[in-house]
Amino acid sequence: MKIRTRLTLWYAAILSVSLVVMGAGTYREISEQLHHDHSVRIWQRALDESGEMVFGVGLPAVALGLLGGWWITRKALGPVTALTRAVEQKHDRNLRERLPVTGSGDELDRLTDVFNQMTSRLDDSFQRIREFTLHASHELKTPLTVMRGELETALLEEDFPAARKELLLSQVDEIERLTRIVDGLTLLTKADSGQIKLEFEPVRLDELVRESVADAKILAQPSGIQVNLTACEATVISGSRDRLRQLWLNLTDNAVKYNEPGGRVNISLAAGVGFAEVKIENTGAGVPLDLQPRVFERFFRGDASHSKAVEGCGLGLSIAQWIVTAHRGSIQFVSKPGELTTVTVRLPANES
Amino acid sequence: MRVLVVEDEKKTASFIRKALQSEGFAVDVCHRGDEALVAARAVPFDGIVLDIMLPGRDGLSVLRQLREQQNRTPVLLLSARGAVNERVEGLNAGADDYLPKPFVVAELVARVRALGRRGSDSTATLLRVADLTLDTVSHRAKRGDRIFDLTAREFRLLEFLMRSAGRICGRMSIIEKVWDYDFDPGTNLVDVYVKRLREKIDDGFEPKLLHTVRGAGYILKE
Repeated sequence: MKIRTRLTLWYAAILSVSLVVMGAGTYREISEQLHHDHSVRIWQRALDESGEMVFGVGLPAVALGLLGGWWITRKALGPVTALTRAVEQKHDRNLRERLPVTGSGDELDRLTDVFNQMTSRLDDSFQRIREFTLHASHELKTPLTVMRGELETALLEEDFPAARKELLLSQVDEIERLTRIVDGLTLLTKADSGQIKLEFEPVRLDELVRESVADAKILAQPSGIQVNLTACEATVISGSRDRLRQLWLNLTDNAVKYNEPGGRVNISLAAGVGFAEVKIENTGAGVPLDLQPRVFERFFRGDASHSKAVEGCGLGLSIAQWIVTAHRGSIQFVSKPGELTTVTVRLPANES
Repeated sequence: MRVLVVEDEKKTASFIRKALQSEGFAVDVCHRGDEALVAARAVPFDGIVLDIMLPGRDGLSVLRQLREQQNRTPVLLLSARGAVNERVEGLNAGADDYLPKPFVVAELVARVRALGRRGSDSTATLLRVADLTLDTVSHRAKRGDRIFDLTAREFRLLEFLMRSAGRICGRMSIIEKVWDYDFDPGTNLVDVYVKRLREKIDDGFEPKLLHTVRGAGYILKE
């Protein structure tokens, strides 16, 4: 129940009790006055007259009081509602922005102040986490380059024992994987802290989709997966060509990777009014319903016991989500385990 | 061949030096941009490996200064991955080649060697490695008397490998130069394409031309 309703009910109850008290008082007063008059049925006349007072004067007064009370609570709680609305607009990216105070120094201003202080502390710690990740990934990069370089240099030596070669080569592979993870993390952290400004230009979306379909067909060949482009309308959007190519390659590659031998991938691009929609469907094990909301999380791997040994850095869908968001679009992941997994991307398109 | 390596990260500089030395290069190392400029003025190097991020003076500014002083020493730029603008700027400023970091050492060595004989071959329209030929105008590839149908991508891949014949091509360089991707796609796209290309140009022929260098990339050679 809203505070406002509760207050009004309490107020109504108090007024009703006062009304009863008023009725009782009037009754007593009138019956005392009538005591000198010896006509019959004093109590009945007293009751009539006090009833008239209560219903004629008291009740309208109570109604007026209630209305006034309703208005006052509304006036008192208005700033709270406004504050609530402002707080609702808060998310991890606008913590720096302060909520406005009225300047009257009242209780709500105090509350707003305290809230502002809290969010700026939160923002500081978010910032520290971002900076930490950014520094960490940056610091990791150089040692990785060095490790890889030194291993390779060692391998270049002609008298390097062949028996140890395999071991070092597998280390080079692992270093490459680590490098990929660190690269992905760096990208996402930079994106988080708004350090990446994408340069938008008019892009023929259908060409990019066709290109990624061509790549996906090649990628799918070894496992006998069929890749179909079911629809591809000519569409122009404003976006970053490189990032969009990365997005389609990323999603189509997933559709091939998490498929089953002899399965299929359907890709379609449809233009709507003011938006373009790309749908990528694939057969395969899919993701259980309860885990689906988490697929865009960093390093999310699905059910470990079911996932085959699929290569990847665990950041692909997070990166995809970032690219879509940076284009002011939306991405949706729906999976019917064992049947179809569908990723739908919607991007705002130019009207042509 | 005497080469100047300009790289501020000491260990990275050290393994580049080691790798180049083991291939018979004489190597000087600088850790700062301004020092590099002084060194390049004093000694006629045959090539410079230049990192872009440097203390003192950044790589691009060193390069511009060199070219302004009519110093034509071939320069191989080392740039961070994803920094496409830097690369374009570098080539405009007069770099002869670039290599995205992290790079494959063997590829770096091969590129440095190629710096020495840079020039005419990048404009040739008929490429030839053993009995394999590629006409870059008609996009026709031929080995023996077999003519291959190549997709646009396969053509670019083959062209890149043939232009770098005898040199290791790292996966990332292939991704950058054949696909124009400025990111690591994290897929085995390159491997799958190379496998298909190999089926076309090597199956049924001897000697094999397209080889895998484990942990590094691919090489097209006799």
